[in-house]
This record gives sequence, C-alpha cells and structure tokens, in this order.
Amino acid sequence: MDRAYGEEPRSFMLVSRHNNSLSSTGRSAVLGSFVFVSAAISLAFALHGAWMILPFAGAEIAILYLAFRAIARRAGDYESISICGDRILVERWESGRPTRFEFNRLWVQVIVHPGRGGGAGALAVRSHGREVEFGRHLTPEQRAEVARTLKNQLGRARRS
Amino acid sequence: MEAVHGHDHAHDHHGPTGIMKYLTTTNHKDIGSMYLWFSFSMFLLGGAMALVIRAELFQPGLQIVNPEFFNAMTTYHGLIMVFGAIMPAFVGFANWLIPMQIGAPDMAFPRMNNWSFWLLPPAALLLILAQFTPGGPAGVGWTLYPPLTIQQGMSMDLTIFAVHILGMSSIMGSINIITTVLNMRAPGMTLMKMPLFCWTWLITAYLLIAVMPVLAGAVTMLLTDRHFDTHFFNPAGGGDPVLFQHIFWFFGHPEVYIIAIPAFGVISQVIPAFARKPLFGYSSMVYATASIAILSFLVWAHHMYTVGMPVQAQLYFMFATMLIAVPTGVKVFNWVATMWKGSMTFETPMLFAIGFLFLFTIGGFTGLVLAITPVDVQLHDTYYVVAHFHYVMVAGALFSAFAGIYFWLPKWIGKMYDEGLGKLHFWLSFIFFNLAFFVQHFLGLAGMPRRIPDYSLQFTDFNMVSTIGAFGFGLSQLLFLYIILKAIRSGEKAPQRPWEGADSIEWTMLPTPAPYHSFEKPPVIR
Repeated sequence: MDRAYGEEPRSFMLVSRHNNSLSSTGRSAVLGSFVFVSAAISLAFALHGAWMILPFAGAEIAILYLAFRAIARRAGDYESISICGDRILVERWESGRPTRFEFNRLWVQVIVHPGRGGGAGALAVRSHGREVEFGRHLTPEQRAEVARTLKNQLGRARRS
Repeated sequence: MEAVHGHDHAHDHHGPTGIMKYLTTTNHKDIGSMYLWFSFSMFLLGGAMALVIRAELFQPGLQIVNPEFFNAMTTYHGLIMVFGAIMPAFVGFANWLIPMQIGAPDMAFPRMNNWSFWLLPPAALLLILAQFTPGGPAGVGWTLYPPLTIQQGMSMDLTIFAVHILGMSSIMGSINIITTVLNMRAPGMTLMKMPLFCWTWLITAYLLIAVMPVLAGAVTMLLTDRHFDTHFFNPAGGGDPVLFQHIFWFFGHPEVYIIAIPAFGVISQVIPAFARKPLFGYSSMVYATASIAILSFLVWAHHMYTVGMPVQAQLYFMFATMLIAVPTGVKVFNWVATMWKGSMTFETPMLFAIGFLFLFTIGGFTGLVLAITPVDVQLHDTYYVVAHFHYVMVAGALFSAFAGIYFWLPKWIGKMYDEGLGKLHFWLSFIFFNLAFFVQHFLGLAGMPRRIPDYSLQFTDFNMVSTIGAFGFGLSQLLFLYIILKAIRSGEKAPQRPWEGADSIEWTMLPTPAPYHSFEKPPVIR
C-alpha cells in the first residue's frame, strides 16, 4: 500500500478508518452461531413434519448474511493522505469503490474549517479552487492534530 | 469549486418536514419516539379490549357482549398487547438508547430501521380490520390453537398476515440491534463495559432471531391448512394439533423473555441510579440474563402439561422450568443488593422499579407454582394462570417501561415531568393493578376457568373487585398520557443530569436534551 506499481515511494502517509468494534473473526463467529441455532431448530421441527419453518429460517439467515456482508464492506472503508514525490494523494475506499484526488505538493493548502462549538470542523486540502475533505472519521481533536502534522510535513517537503 | 463537505455539515437537520419527516426519517431518536407512541396507542386499544372483558365479567350472566365477541376480545387483547404494545415499547427504548449508550452515531442500518417501524401500522390495521370481516373476528385466543383456527372466517387470515408482518419487523429490528451493539461500540466500550440495557437487548435480539421463523412457519402452516388442503394440524386429514402447540410454545416461551429481558435491562439502569451505587454483580447479571435466554428454549412444554405427554417428559419440563428460578433469583438478589445500604431516593422511576421488583417476584413465584406438573394440571386454563402472566407482563414489563420513560424522559425531551403527578400515577397503577389481578389468584384456585364470558355465582365478588381494579388501572393510564403531554408542552427545563446517580454515557457525555445526532465521532471510553 505504501507504494503502488510504477509510483515513487511515499514519504508520508496517514490512514483514517471507521471505528469497527467487531473483528472479521467475530463477524464469522456471530453469523456461524446464528446459522447453527436456526438450522438446529428448523431441522428438528422439519423432522417432525413442520418443514415450513425451514424456508423462513433460511430467508432470515440470508438477510442476516447480507447485513454482515454490508458491515464487512464498510469495515474496509478508509481515507488516506500521502506525500508521493511532488504530489499529495488523497485516496478513499468506500463500499468497495476507490476514489483518488491528486494535488501539487508545492501549491496545496491545508484548511481547517471552524466547527460548531469552536472545535476543529472539516479538514480539507485545497489547491487551484479544488477542495477535498479528509478525516471524516476523526474527532475534532484528531483533525486538529492531523492538520498540524500535515502542515509540518508539507513545510518540510517544501524546504527540502 | 469541488468540495466534499464534512459529515457533521452534511447531516444537519434539513430535509422533509411534517408527516414526510416521520415517513422518511432514519434518525434513531425519531424512530424510537415513533415506536413509543405507536406502542402507547396500541396499549390504549388493547386496554379498551381488556375493559370490555372486565365489564362483561363484572357480574355473572351475559350483560354487554355476546360470547363470540368476548372470545374475540380475549384474542385481540392478547395479540395487540404482546405484539403491538409491549414489544414495540422496548424496541422504542432500544432505538433511543442503544446508540447513545455505546457511543454510536445511529443504528447500523438506519433505512432498515425506518422500514421495521413502518411495517407496524399496516399490521395493526390488519388486526383492527379483522374485527369487521364477514364471519366476525377470530375468537381463538392469542395462542391461535388449531383446529379452531382452521374453522374461523376471513379475520383469521388477516390475523395471520398481521403476525407475519410483525415478525418481519421484529427480525429487521433485531438484525439492526445485533449489528449496532456488536460493531458500533465506541473505542474502549468493551462488551463488559456496556450498560446492562444494551446487554439485555443483545440477548433479546438473539432470541428473536432464533424463534421468529418458528412463529412464521407455524402461522403459515395454519394458512395452508385453511386454504391449500394441507393437513399439518388438522386432525380431520391426519394432522396433529398438538404439534402446533409444541411449535407455538417453542416460540411462545422465549417470547415471554423477549418481553421480560429488556425490562430487566431498564430496571438494571434505574435502580443503581437511585440507590447511588453501581449495579451489584454486573457480570453475574450478564451471565444470568444469558442463562435465562438459553433455558427459555428448553421449557416450552410446561404450557401444555394437560395435552398428554409421558411422565418422563413432564418431569423434565418441570425441573427445567424450576431451574429458571436460579438465574432469575440471581437478578432479583443483585437488584436488592444494589439497593442495600444505598443512598436511596424514591422518585417516580425508582417507585416503578421497586414496584416491578416486588410484583415481578410474585409473578415469578406463581410461575414456580405452575411449573409443578400436578399443580398445573389443576390450575391449567384457570384465572390463576391469567393472574400469573399479568404479574409478569404488566407489573413486570409495563412497570419497567414506565420506570424507563420517567427515567429517560428528561434526556429525550429536555424537560422534567411533574414529579407529584408521576408518583400519583405510580400509586394508582400499583393499587389498581393489585386490585385487578391479585384476586384472580383466588378465582383460579377456586376453579374459575379463563376465556369464558359467564361464570358461577360463587365467583362474583372477586370478579367485581377485579373489574373495579381494571377500570381504575385503565383510567390511571390516561393520567400517564397527561403527564407526558404536560412535560412536553410546559415541563420545567431538565438539568444536565437530573438523576445524580445516573452514570452511563448518555448522561455523562451528551447534553440534555440529547442532540439530534448523538455521537458523530465516537467518544473514547476509559
């Protein structure tokens, strides 16, 4: 991830992800426990002649699976900002869809919009009339910290 | 200029207004409020049906309604109260509280959340329409036992569809709760740090996922027996009506805990707040709740001792049922131990919580009495059973819901209710509830059967007392409605933490009233 094929190495990179309290192993374990319990109940009744419980149990597990799959896709969402030679790259991965914005390192500005209640609002990078937000999963304090770090890094890169 | 705006700007409180706001809302607080209002309106409808039953039973003989309509009232009172009033009430609590208690911005699937609420009104409409269909409303009891259900008119089909829709709503709600609690907890909010209310709903949602297909399958087989010449339960075609009872109660007994367990969660939040002590034995409460849930799958046939089953099976179900008293006892002792040497005050939520504790324990004890097979054979289908489950459902679940509403109302609306009126509501409810239902134990012990519009003369006095209690209880709930409306319209501004002992994060990390979007960024829990 630090270096895509044919690209210069990235001298700086920050990745921000959603908060997910359930691991992928946890997701499988939870789903597995539902499959086991539902299958045991519906098969036991089917063996006694009440087979019509089976399709409902199956449909329910299918919905549950779709819900967990949606969570798994969202769990992979991230935003990254990196310095790659003369370029600043802002990359997003949302529900399996990648988006990428490129800026010139020497022209880019780091903007922190004022937030409600006086804290740091949206954090963005801006250049030539284009503005792209970064750090949507972060707290205002974390955004302020990221903004300071980014400004330092850009300053260092410009001086070098 | 190309700009991608921040989450907190994009979700400012714009969008549709009026009825469209409620039709399209995906906000967990709006949906929670809709669940609670829906549940209260169903409570009034089911309550009115209960008053028809009690009015008819004020005196022996047939005075007000005919027996068919009386049977319909018992049927729809049960269905509406269980599926329309109590279950949605606790889903309302779940919607309001779970995201705020785990530090999440909303439920995991907000659109599905909207859908699971909006399935409820059509289901309620079907249950109401069933009263006006050709052949009259179904008078089969909320348990829907065949072969009687197979012989009913069109109202039965509407009832079956209503049960299906309510089940779909419950399943979607459960999936949302499970995914929210498991995946959206704030950093540091480990499972064993969660407020007990979230634990109880996680366990309840598991139960719902496990048993709802069983109910759906059962009512679908009733439907095909009625219209598609199958004979699952129709003895005329070789079917087995007792199989339905097994299936129904395999759903029905966990259903009791689906209602009771979130009530335990509410009480586990209220008692520590007013005892000003942490909940005694938090982890044992979690394990006891999980044990109750597991045991609830293993005891279903204690509802059907009298249909005929081998003595070994009777013994098994008797002992397994008694075993539930152990984790339930753990919970009751822990609540009492939480209060022990606490700096207790007795505001309305605490009064309802103590009322719950006292009356639910009575309901638990009468449950133990009914668990004993030879006793149950005598008491089966008598008013003793009616008294027992109303102590569990009304004094248990409903009192807990009242405790929860008074407790969290300041957080929800930012205004205080009238404490004096709240206490009056409690005492009226407590006294009239016992007047209505305690005497039913005596009626049952004396042999008065349930689900009959007429009775022998010797039961008259207790029935009169019970009816007076029921009307008093019903009217007291109009006072509750007045208290809530008064609080919304002109209640005093609530302080940030109106209950000094309340220490879960919705009180300590969110302003009062809670903002439209709770935790846009997850808080860090230490």
